[in-house]
Amino acid sequence: MEFKLETFLFFFLAVSSIISAIMMITRKSPISSALFLILNFFTVSGLYLLLKAQFIAVIQVLVYMGAIMVLFLFVIMLLNLQDKSKFKEKYSYKKITSLLLSILLFCILSFTLYFGFTGKFKAMSDAAGDLGKAETLGAELFTAFSFPFELASFLLLAAIVGAVVLAKKKFN
Amino acid sequence: MIDINYYLLTSAVLFSIGVAGVLIRRNAIVIFMCIELMLNSINLTLVAFSAFLGSISGQIFVFIVMTVAAAEAAVGLAIVIALFRNKESVNIDEINILKW
Amino acid sequence: MNTEALILFFIVGLAMVGGGIIISTILAPKSKNPVKEETYECGIPTQGASWLQYKIGYYLFAIIFLIFDVEIIFMVPWAVVMKDYGFTAFVEIIIFLMIVALGLIYAYKKKVLRWD
Repeated sequence: MEFKLETFLFFFLAVSSIISAIMMITRKSPISSALFLILNFFTVSGLYLLLKAQFIAVIQVLVYMGAIMVLFLFVIMLLNLQDKSKFKEKYSYKKITSLLLSILLFCILSFTLYFGFTGKFKAMSDAAGDLGKAETLGAELFTAFSFPFELASFLLLAAIVGAVVLAKKKFN
Repeated sequence: MIDINYYLLTSAVLFSIGVAGVLIRRNAIVIFMCIELMLNSINLTLVAFSAFLGSISGQIFVFIVMTVAAAEAAVGLAIVIALFRNKESVNIDEINILKW
Repeated sequence: MNTEALILFFIVGLAMVGGGIIISTILAPKSKNPVKEETYECGIPTQGASWLQYKIGYYLFAIIFLIFDVEIIFMVPWAVVMKDYGFTAFVEIIIFLMIVALGLIYAYKKKVLRWD
């Protein structure tokens, strides 16, 4: 099999995203979990670039890694969770059952997704290169999807108000 | 040329890891992170379909999902802070007042 | 656009930084003693833990930053297509900005932005 850069990059990114996700759920300290999640977001943003979705890849870095994960790290530092005894996680039959259940879920998902689309798409669409641009996204967002766009602003308003109400209450 | 199957398989693996994390971990903040991981794997599926079908709608969905994720993180972490203020803990096994 | 080249650039960049750290940990001479582990090797001994609790006011600022960060990613596609759609897109973004600005006004009224 001839060596192809795209194939190599895909497997590198996919394997590192899976490894970082596994590391994330197995770390004891929430700080290292958050850092592995940032690594996972970074590799997924690389996968978006392979799918020629440049704008999505950029806002993945901006929003997920730049803002949401900062908020997570912030809260971990804010809550001052250095007391290890609060995080003692014991292994029990419950955990083994949940692990088996998630493996079962993986079997179902992979069966449906992997075999359901074998041979359906010969190659990436020719238009894919243009789809990732901000122009295409904007053109669609301000015509066909203008109502969801306005609703998104209500969502953001609700987020500000909700967070202020929940977090501000007699904090001093 | 990478087939769409491989992207979908990666996304399925990430989603299952997220589900396993939600079920296994007991720290509320880590559970939130696992939810973000699941949202992210769904985004990967949507972008893959968008690229292979040649339709922009998938990327618009990703846009909206990212907005929802940001709003969810803001409110959810505020709830975690409020819980911590009352119970001095973020272990969800200790937050069981509503449990019968 | 050649996206493979971009990703390869990132990977090579990471490998350069990571490789430097790994090689230096392998090659560099190591000597460990309690004095070297201290924060200030030839200064006064430190007291207490360095992980101290923040004021919650920082969290509310971080939330407001997050919301307006998301707002900006909505404005970038708007700025790109503004010329083609003209007045319609302008009205849409104004409505959007007004609704999000209500959140800022709420935060201002609740004295979240005041630092005391």
